[in-house]
Amino acid sequence: MLFNKVLIANRGEIAVRIIHACRTLGISTVTVYSTADKDAVHTMMGDEAYEIGPPSPLESYLCIEKIIEVAKKSGADAIHPGYGFLAENPNFASACAANKIAFIGPSAEAILLMGNKVESRKKMVSVGVPLIPGMKDEGKSLAEFVKAADEAGYPVLIKAAAGGGGKGMRVVNEPADLETAVEGAKREAKSAFGDDTVYLEKYIVDPRHIEFQVMADSHGNVVHVFERECSIQRRHQKIVEETPSTAVTDELRIEMGKAAVEVTKAADYVGAGTIEFLLDKSGKFYFLEMNTRIQVEHPVTEEVTGVDLVAEQIRIASGYELSDHFKNLTQRGHSIECRIYAEDASNNFMPSIGKILLYREPTGPGVRVDSGVRQGSEVGIDYDPIMAKLVVWGEDRETACARMIKALKEYKILGLRHSVKYLSDIIAHPKFVSGETYTDFIERNFSDWDDGASELLETAVGAAAIAGANYRPAGNQSGAGDASVFDPWRETGNWQIGESVK
Amino acid sequence: MNYEFKYKDEVVSVDLTDGKIASFNDGEKQLQFEFRSEGRIYLRDGNMAKEVCAVIDGDKTFVDIDGLLFEFAVPSEDASGSGEGGLASDPSRLFAPMPGKIVKLLVEIGDTVSDKLQVVIVEAMKMENIVIAKASGTVKAINFAEGDQCDIETPLIELELADD
Repeated sequence: MLFNKVLIANRGEIAVRIIHACRTLGISTVTVYSTADKDAVHTMMGDEAYEIGPPSPLESYLCIEKIIEVAKKSGADAIHPGYGFLAENPNFASACAANKIAFIGPSAEAILLMGNKVESRKKMVSVGVPLIPGMKDEGKSLAEFVKAADEAGYPVLIKAAAGGGGKGMRVVNEPADLETAVEGAKREAKSAFGDDTVYLEKYIVDPRHIEFQVMADSHGNVVHVFERECSIQRRHQKIVEETPSTAVTDELRIEMGKAAVEVTKAADYVGAGTIEFLLDKSGKFYFLEMNTRIQVEHPVTEEVTGVDLVAEQIRIASGYELSDHFKNLTQRGHSIECRIYAEDASNNFMPSIGKILLYREPTGPGVRVDSGVRQGSEVGIDYDPIMAKLVVWGEDRETACARMIKALKEYKILGLRHSVKYLSDIIAHPKFVSGETYTDFIERNFSDWDDGASELLETAVGAAAIAGANYRPAGNQSGAGDASVFDPWRETGNWQIGESVK
Repeated sequence: MNYEFKYKDEVVSVDLTDGKIASFNDGEKQLQFEFRSEGRIYLRDGNMAKEVCAVIDGDKTFVDIDGLLFEFAVPSEDASGSGEGGLASDPSRLFAPMPGKIVKLLVEIGDTVSDKLQVVIVEAMKMENIVIAKASGTVKAINFAEGDQCDIETPLIELELADD
């Protein structure tokens, strides 16, 4: 039996996405909201909505007690955590279980295992999934470094344990340079972090971030739903994702997919999960981590396979076996997602706050928008600044790119800064077009990005002046509205539904 | 009728005739528009029509052309006076981009800072944002401590500007 009522412990676009899945399955929805989200899209969209506290996430969306209390009060039999907030919190999964509420996600044990880097890596080694070769601990003597470098294979990377920002980091291409590099990295680490601990790992040339979607039911069925490439990142956060990856061949897909399924089985995993790998230029791949939640970028997988991953998560949590679609999966065409953030791409991706004064989503064949905002929405300081995800599908990558650029140009969000033009320039960039998408794509190609405003400045100024000359603020009219706007209600005369007025 | 808009540090002037023809540089360049609504303004050239959006909010005007966003302000009479434009353009006072929490102060009172140096890290919207010096000078006041909540009206850091 499917659940009757699902509580959605999240906000924004993912809360809206989960409501869509519940409605498709005929399940009623309960939303929770902080006082900052009183008028938010997700708050207004669910069948029931409960306020759970002030804007600060710790006192609302992260407050386990309050959410469990609403679930009991509203009679919800399951909770979907979305992504972020409580999605990968084992205590929340346990609290749900203790209160006999189904948690739409994996067990607390699986979350705990995958949340622990050391334990999860040990587990991966035991099932033969490759990790980035290198030292387990700090290197003490030069001999240790030489041995580790030989085992990992050159080039290798010397990294500061306290590291960050490239300080205390050295790439070594051949054995002769190892000693100098270790010494240099230690000195740099000492002066930058006050700690000269360095270690060695294999240097991955032109790495790509490739992840595999997996789905597992409680009856022992595990499948992978192909890959997503998420190499385009800024501030270590993905902004463009696509599937299939231009770097994954049919053979590699089989091999990586098999590894992803192994990882899932080894973790006794149930639900939707994502196995993240780093893929190097030669086609070797290394396990990074497993995300035990639905991912932001799940729609691209849905677009090329035709499945509804969120609905399937709910079915699996209700105890169903994987649907038949998952037994004969194929990839059809190509899909790309762009994350639409409220941020200033020309100023170090500084988040932008404000009210969306005008909002218009793109349309047309192969265009999908998963959004959590509308015209009039306020984007505040309390939460992640993602407003929406623009997803396109095309019969091939070229078509998908063309549709994405077209859709981005049509996307109108006025009132705050956003990344739409930046994203459009990424998709149009020759290196993106040719599929040379490595994790340093943004640093390599967009460090001196120019938004192209100078060419269009006069057109923009002209439009601003036209708006100023014609602008009539709402509610500032005397009499019965603006006579220049056609209003059909003024044309109808006296009438009454169903009969004529006597 | 003449309109002036401030874009970044540049003031652009435009003459409007009939509420639809925009002229720049004494008529050297002319663009013709058709106004339907704020969301639908059309740049016209013969049979060609291109849609542009423009929304006015107080003294700000936002314009979108194919996803490229322009934010215009009304040029202020007195740049050093009060008001947002005045505050933002005074390089001796550095403000947070939005209310948030001070994560790290990267300078101390008496430190010399150079243009573009990172001075404060502010956390808002789950992300760390770096406040950068806009001119060289000496730190004369720091008005918040690490861990404090900051607003956007009080300067985080005040500088004694270096003489050029």
